[in-house]
Formats: sequence, C-alpha cells, structure tokens
Amino acid sequence: MNIVEVERLTKRYGQENAAEELSFVLEEGTATALIGPNGAGKTTTLSMLADLLSPTSGKVTMAKGLTIGFLPQYPQFFPWLTALEFTEMAAKLSGVETKKARLQATRTLEFVGLGTALTKKTGTFSGGMKQRLGLAQAIVHQPKLLLLDEPISALDPTGRREIMDLLKSLQQDTTILYSTHILNDAEEMTDQLLFMKDGRLIEQGSLNEVRNRHANPRIRIRLQNHAQALEFAEGQAWGSEVKENTIFLPVQESGPTMLQVLQVLASKKQDVLGVEFQTASLEEIFLKVVAGK
Amino acid sequence: MKHFGILMQKEWRENARNYKIYWIPAIFILLGITEPAVNYFLPQILKASGGLPEGAVFEIPTPTPEQILMAVLQQFQTIGMAVLILAYMATIAGERKSGTATLLYVRPLSFSAYFLSKWVVAAAISLASVWLGFFSGYYYTLLFFGEVEIIKLLQMIGFYSFWVLLILTIVLAASAALPNGGLAAAAAFALYVLLQLADGLFGANWSVSPVKIPQYAATWLTGNPDISSLWGAVGIAVVIILVLFGFGSWTAQKNKAKTKV
Repeated sequence: MNIVEVERLTKRYGQENAAEELSFVLEEGTATALIGPNGAGKTTTLSMLADLLSPTSGKVTMAKGLTIGFLPQYPQFFPWLTALEFTEMAAKLSGVETKKARLQATRTLEFVGLGTALTKKTGTFSGGMKQRLGLAQAIVHQPKLLLLDEPISALDPTGRREIMDLLKSLQQDTTILYSTHILNDAEEMTDQLLFMKDGRLIEQGSLNEVRNRHANPRIRIRLQNHAQALEFAEGQAWGSEVKENTIFLPVQESGPTMLQVLQVLASKKQDVLGVEFQTASLEEIFLKVVAGK
Repeated sequence: MKHFGILMQKEWRENARNYKIYWIPAIFILLGITEPAVNYFLPQILKASGGLPEGAVFEIPTPTPEQILMAVLQQFQTIGMAVLILAYMATIAGERKSGTATLLYVRPLSFSAYFLSKWVVAAAISLASVWLGFFSGYYYTLLFFGEVEIIKLLQMIGFYSFWVLLILTIVLAASAALPNGGLAAAAAFALYVLLQLADGLFGANWSVSPVKIPQYAATWLTGNPDISSLWGAVGIAVVIILVLFGFGSWTAQKNKAKTKV
C-alpha cells in the first residue's frame, strides 16, 4: 500500500527551482534513500513532506491519519531543557497521552543510547548525542512515517553503525525516507533509491533495478605483469581493457561467463593472481548518474 | 488551543532557566527604588560630589510623594519599556533563526496556542516586574517623603498594566512577523516613538488614545482622570491587543517556512 504519493512536486525560489516536478511513492514499510550531492534539493523535498515548506506546485497525498517523525540535518534543541524534558514535550505535542509521555520518552532515550543522559541539559550535548536525541524526538510518538535528513552523516563510524542498526530495527513498523550521501549505508538499508540532482529526480527504482541499469558487470583478471595481460587480451575475442597487469572484461548477455574465462585461463596454463566478478558499487553508480562520470 | 499547557510549561522553563524571571524584576525594582532614594539623598550627593564654591546655597524644593511616584512611572516609560522590548524581541524570531522552532513546527501545533503561551508567560513576568518595581518605589517614597494612599497607587498600576501589555503584545507580534529579534525591537521602538509623537502632535482632541494610558494612570495619584476617556483608551488598547493576537498567530504560522532546517 502506498502511504505517500508525491506528484510533480515543485518548489521555486524566484527563478531557481529547488525541487522540480518530483513524482514518487512511498510504500508502507519500505525504506527509501534520497541520494544526491549537496544542493540537490534533498532537504527542500523532505521539508515539503514534513509540511515545513509549502510547495509552489504539485501535491503530496498522505494516507489518512499518517503520523510523521522528522529529523533535520542539524537538529537544534532548547539548550536549557534536559533530554528527557525535551523528548517528553515532543511526545505530548505529537499526541502521546500526558500520562504515558514520560515513560515513552524515557524508553525512547534508552533505545537511542541516551539512557545515562536523561537529566542532562541538551546544551551540553556533543554532536553525536544531539543526533541521537534528534532521532529520539522523531520516533518518540511511534510515527508511521519517518523523514530523516542525513541521519548519520555527522556521526563517527561507531555511532553510524549503531544508528543504522537502530533504523533497521525500526523498519518493521515504520516507513522511512532518508537522505544521505554515505552510499554504503544506503546500500545496506534501502528498498527504493531516489537520485536527485539540481532539484530533479534523475533516477529511481529498487536497488536491483538501478544496479541492472548502471551496474556495468565485468570480470577482472590480474596476471603477473603488463606483457602477460596484453598477450591474454589480444588472444581472445571478448572486448577487453588492459590496465597494467589487469584485464577488465565487460560482461554482456553474449558472455563471457566466469566459467568461460576460467577455462581459457586454465587452457593457457596462465599464472593468475586473481579473478573476480565485479559490479559497480552504489558509489560508482552515483558518480556515473549524478556527476556524469 | 491544543497543547497550550505544554507550550506554556516550556516558556516558563525557558524564562526561569534564562534567568529572565530574576533579572527583569530586579531592573524594575532598582528603577523603582532609585527615584525616591536619589531625590532623598540629593543634597548629600551634591555635597559629596564637590566642586561647589564656598558658601553656595541651594534651595531644592522637596518633591511631593506623588511627584516621586510619577517620576518612577517616567523611568518605567523610558528604561523599563526598553528593557521589556529587548528582553522579548527574539521570542519567536529567535526560535526560527536558531532552528529550535523546527522541532515544534513539524508537529500538529496550534499557532494561537504557540503565540498565546509566549504572551502569557512574558506578560506574567512583565506585570510582576512592573508591580514589584512600583511597590518598592512606593515603600521608599513612604519612608522618605510621606503618605500616598495605597488605593491611588493600585489604580495607577492597574491601568498602567494595560499599557505594559500593549507594548509587550506589539513586541511579540513584531517578533512573529520579522526575520530577527533586532528588527522586531527596532520596529517596536519605532512604533513606540511614533505613537508618542503622533499623540503629542495630533492627540489634543483624541482623548481615548491608548498612548495616553500612562498619563491617565498617573493622574490617579493627584486626582481623578476623566473616567470615560480612560476606559475608552483602555478599550482600544484591548482591541489592539486582541487584533495582534490574531496577527501574531497568523504571521508565526506563515513564517514557518522561514525556519532554519
């Protein structure tokens, strides 16, 4: 079931289009990664979905009674409130019953790893703690839709790992739309990819669909030296590319297959350093699609 | 008015933890005490500051207690109102600019509750400060200059309070409408001066002008002001305050998009 449908969503500032004719849907229970370079329009898009910005044109249709949690890229807190006070207030303002709000806030803070900082003023928090608190206020009311603007970019590798694991555990009952430029993470938690550039969606689909369109599968063979590599490349009919001691064979429907390559190598009694099947990583796809490289 | 209580608790915590509930009353108390104290000790002060020729004689008429309290009101009108404007200029604009408002605005918020929660807490602190200031001034006036009936004082403070609320509402509405606290303060100051100026120039025949409220309030000390003019002026002030509630809530919501994300 689609819980959000976005149709030709556009935000214009003067002559500039911060977001242009965006159309996509979010299916219930899925994670969607919004990927693009700085200034691509990711924050604008998320802000419109969070109802912080009104679109210039186009429309967003949300499922009835859909509750939303939003984490901005740089969440700002009232420095004179403690983490618990802030999260409890956030819960109440999002409709959690007053009686339950404190307990729910406490549990959420423990869940994001701030269990020991409940009564600390948020003004004393480090960047990583703020990011965790930001996540806590976004999920304290157990929203059905979670909008996260660069939820992990500001974290160190350990924190990033932990938050990714938290997000993955939320995925069962929450639909997540998050922007990121850390592509390894996107690869790990995504059912749908949206690539943005200059305010436009330039590629969208599931990870597999996008991969199939841009993955560029190839077999990489490493031999002892450049001469051997050249000799091997000239000795067969597959189009190939040689870089130093390495040969790249693009894999098409007509082949070659890994088996064929191994057979050729074996028949030539070639001394091989390594053979592997490669597809483009999301990062390479990103560079290709977004930066045109 | 959903969430009014929650938002008010937040405002109260903010004002308490930023020490506004201490320093704003402290300034008004200081202003209130200064007037009677300086007047009382003026001869000694002049003597101590020296530089007077030998044998100089000054005849300083002793002011009446009513004059002292009017002078306190004058202090509140200049320094006191400036303090309130500066203290509350960033109430809404500041939250937008720093981005702290974002995490409120993404929730199903009633902007009238939002505006009113800020108004109620700011009004409570401002009025408490003004009242405490007057009472401190009153105490030292009694001590140094003699009796003034308490009822006269209460009448003055009561009516002056409407003026304080009017100024405060203007500041908050400006803070909701303008991009930052500095501009909000500038707008409020400009309006404050313009109103006084307009009243001075053209107000002779306009007796129900809200700008005259402080003047009418002071009249209670020495006699009775024209009651119908006074209530007329207060009535207009209340109407302006209510209109500004509507405007402030509306413009705060409209400016939601200008919040730093």
